[in-house]
This record gives sequence, C-alpha cells and structure tokens, in this order.
Amino acid sequence: MIEILQFPFMQRALIAGIILAVLLAFLGVFAVLKRMSFLGDGIAHASLAGIAIGLLASLNPLVIAIFYSVIIALLIYVLEKKTKLSVDAIIGILFTASLALGVVLMSFKSGYQPDLISFMFGNILAVSINDLILMASISVVVIIFLAIFYKKLSLVAFDKEGAYLAGINVSLFEILFNVFLAIAIVLGVKILGIILVSALLIIPASTAKIVSKSFKSLIILSIIIGEITVLSGLILSYVFDLPSGAVIVLCGTVIFILVVSFYRVFILKGYNK
Amino acid sequence: MTRTCPHSEIIAIKVSDLTVRYDSFVALSGINLEISKGCFVSIIGPNGSGKTTLLRSMLGLANPSIGKIEIFGKSIWDQKKTLGYVPQRFIFDKTFPITIDEFLKFSLRKGTPVSKIDEKLKEVDMVDKKKKLLGHLSGGQLQRVLIARAILNDPQILFLDEPASGIDIGGEKSFYDLLDYLNEKYKITIVMISHELDVVAKYAHRVICLDRKLVCYGDPKTILDAEMVKRLYGEDVAIHQH
Repeated sequence: MIEILQFPFMQRALIAGIILAVLLAFLGVFAVLKRMSFLGDGIAHASLAGIAIGLLASLNPLVIAIFYSVIIALLIYVLEKKTKLSVDAIIGILFTASLALGVVLMSFKSGYQPDLISFMFGNILAVSINDLILMASISVVVIIFLAIFYKKLSLVAFDKEGAYLAGINVSLFEILFNVFLAIAIVLGVKILGIILVSALLIIPASTAKIVSKSFKSLIILSIIIGEITVLSGLILSYVFDLPSGAVIVLCGTVIFILVVSFYRVFILKGYNK
Repeated sequence: MTRTCPHSEIIAIKVSDLTVRYDSFVALSGINLEISKGCFVSIIGPNGSGKTTLLRSMLGLANPSIGKIEIFGKSIWDQKKTLGYVPQRFIFDKTFPITIDEFLKFSLRKGTPVSKIDEKLKEVDMVDKKKKLLGHLSGGQLQRVLIARAILNDPQILFLDEPASGIDIGGEKSFYDLLDYLNEKYKITIVMISHELDVVAKYAHRVICLDRKLVCYGDPKTILDAEMVKRLYGEDVAIHQH
C-alpha cells in the first residue's frame, strides 16, 4: 500500500481522484435531483471533439475540451428554452454530432493515438502535474461555489417556480449548473475516460439516495461513497494493472449493489416487522 | 352575512387590458380588474376558462401578450418578494430525501430569519413533523407545508390554485379556516382558484368569473345567482353554504 504512494504518477492520480470524487459526487446529487444524468454522459461524449481539436492543433486537449464542452452545455440550455424539443433529444443530437466530429477530426491524425485511447478509457499514468494543477484549481472554485449556493441550486433543481418566487435568478443558476457540470465531467475524463466518467456523477448520488434521510445526509454520503469508489478503484487498477476508469466504475457498481442489498435485507425487513 | 374587503383603498393587484395567447390560442382576452389589499378573492369558471393563466400571469409565471399587471403599483418583478404561491399540483420526486425543514430552509429569502420556519409550521400545525421527508406526507399535510412555504417570507398576497384538490373531505374545512385565519390575522390578500362554489360563497369577499374573458367580478352573494352559474357552467348548480 505504501509502495503505491512512492510513485509520483500514483500520487498525482490519487490527489486528482480525491478532488474529482468530491466534485462529481456533489454535482451528481443535483444531476440526479434534476433527472439529468444523461447530461453528464452527453457532455462527456461531446468532449471528444474538443480533445481531437486540441490534439490536432497541438494544444492542451484538456483545456480545449473544457471550452468545447462548456459551449455544448450552454447550447443545450439555449435549445431547451428556445425549441419544443425535449432535453434528452437535444443532448442526443449534440453528443452524437460532437462524437462524429471528434472521430472525423481524429482520422486526420495518422498512426496509433495513445492520448486518444487514454481519454477514451481513462489512464492513471496520463495525469501530468499541469493537469493536476488545472484540475485542483478549477475544482476548488466549483466546490466553493457549490458549498455556498447549494441551497439555491437545490431549490432550482427541486422546484423552479418556488425558486423564482424565493427571489432566485433561476436561469443564472441553471446555466451555472450546466457549465460547472461540463467542466467537472471533462476534468474527470483523464482518470475515468469519456465513456465511463458520468458513472462517478450518477453512482455515488444514486447509492446515497437509497439510504439518506435528509438532503444534507445525501450530499455527505454521496461524497463519501464517491471517495471510497475512486480510491478503491485506483488502488485495484494499480495492483492488477487494469484500466483505471473501468475499475473505478466497477467498484462503484459493487458498492451500489451492496447498499441496495443491505437496505432491502436489513432496513426494509426491519421496517416491515 | 356579506364579507367586505378590509383596507379597500389600497390596490394590491391591477390588471389592465390583459390578453394571453399561447401561439394562436387565446387563453385570456381583455381582462381589466383591481383587487384591494386584504381581500379574499376567488376565481371561478369552467375548465379551460383561463383561471390558471390569470393566476400565473399575476405571479409573473406567464407572460401577457398584451396589457400589464401591477402589484402595489409596481411591476411584478419588483414586487416578487410580496407574493406567495400554492400550486394546484406540486410534482416532485417523492423518493428524493428532503425534509420539510430543509425544503423551507431552501425557500428562505435573504434576510428572512430561520426562526420563521418554526413560526410558519406552527401556523399550519406541522411543526412537530418538520424532520419528516416531504415524500412521506399525505396530500393534506403536503398542502399545509406548501402554505407554510408560501407564507414563509411574509408575503402580502397569497395565490392558491385549487389548493384543496389533494385534501380529503374532512381536512377541507380546517384548510379553508386556516386561509381565513391568515387573511384575517395578517391581512394577506388571497387570490384562490376554486371549483367549489359553496366554499367561494362562504369565504370569499369577491369572486372573479372567467370564461377566457371577464364575465363578472363582485360580491359572490350578489352575483353568484343561478343564472350566472348556468352561464358559466352550462347547467343548474345549487350553492349550499356550510
């Protein structure tokens, strides 16, 4: 166990994982509350176009992907308000279009693309010190925002009309949620990969929802489950030399199954007696 | 006994030439009316007559196509803090773990003390249940919590859209008595959509009759006669007072 911490790449991966688990698990509560889990998945897939632009232009793909995903998140918001399309249809259109754009752009780059593979499936070796600084600084800003405004965000997600009458600028908070979700998802792509990153948004919040008895406990439990998921996944992926993203998601799934089983067997049975 | 509006010299709501269209459908046309401060007003009319549209327009939740609405002489946006609202159906994920206490905390306006939560829950007789999950409440309990939320920031006008629809018959009287108490004690102006003409006759100072346009507006005892009811609902309906 101590041996793992001796490697700088593992130290970076663990620090990044700890930060991302807080960020994604916290945001996940609102995504689940808004029934917008698909938004995270859509943005993650759409970020491929940004990554491809970054790789082709020899720019930092993570930074370009953040900008690209923020634009997509804003576009989803605007189209939802201005058209009669449902939000899942809009996400479906934009995410497949961006994914297709990413595939076309990547076809201009010849040869094997290790960067692309690590973005697709996550790679603990891929977290550079610059990536870590970027992740940490952005995450801290978003987490502070969430901690300060979580009550307003909750009411906007739970009851828009009530939020409006409580004097909250509903549109502003909806836009900020989409933007922060897009940023958080892209930050998670390095470790979890495009295909799997949204799991860290959905699984901890959904697991915590089963056993929570208040909104406050939901947030705290979601973050704890997120941390256990990421840390156990990272350690197991190192020990067994497996893709980090996939192992993290499998760890989260096992925790989810255990909690559901425990809840059904012990809590509900006890309640029915 | 005829109930009269207190403080009738102050105009709480002024609706001028209001027309609301949804695409080509005209939901409301040419509405002009004034509601005095402290008045208990009911809106009645058949299904699709524009009752909810009028209420939502007064709250700023529906945009007028023509005309304007003023709250205490100012725009709705400027007076939002004076408004409270109890919707017809509060649709939410009942499995989501949020307590009554948290729900009200989230709804507190800046500057409103947290102590208001207990104060308002006491008013609706729900203070001992504040740690209960919102999804575990009965229809009547939820309506009481929604009223507590609506009056949490001490609004001057309370809007209710068929508020008794989720309450059993036994709970209806105490619910309307609660509204009457709030109207009497705090002089809150109440605007309530109702299909129950006997309730309107008993509690309301004024009644607004709608059928996409203003059909009548005045004292329910005077204007809610058999002819008006037939004109609105197309059938003979007898009004019985409790």
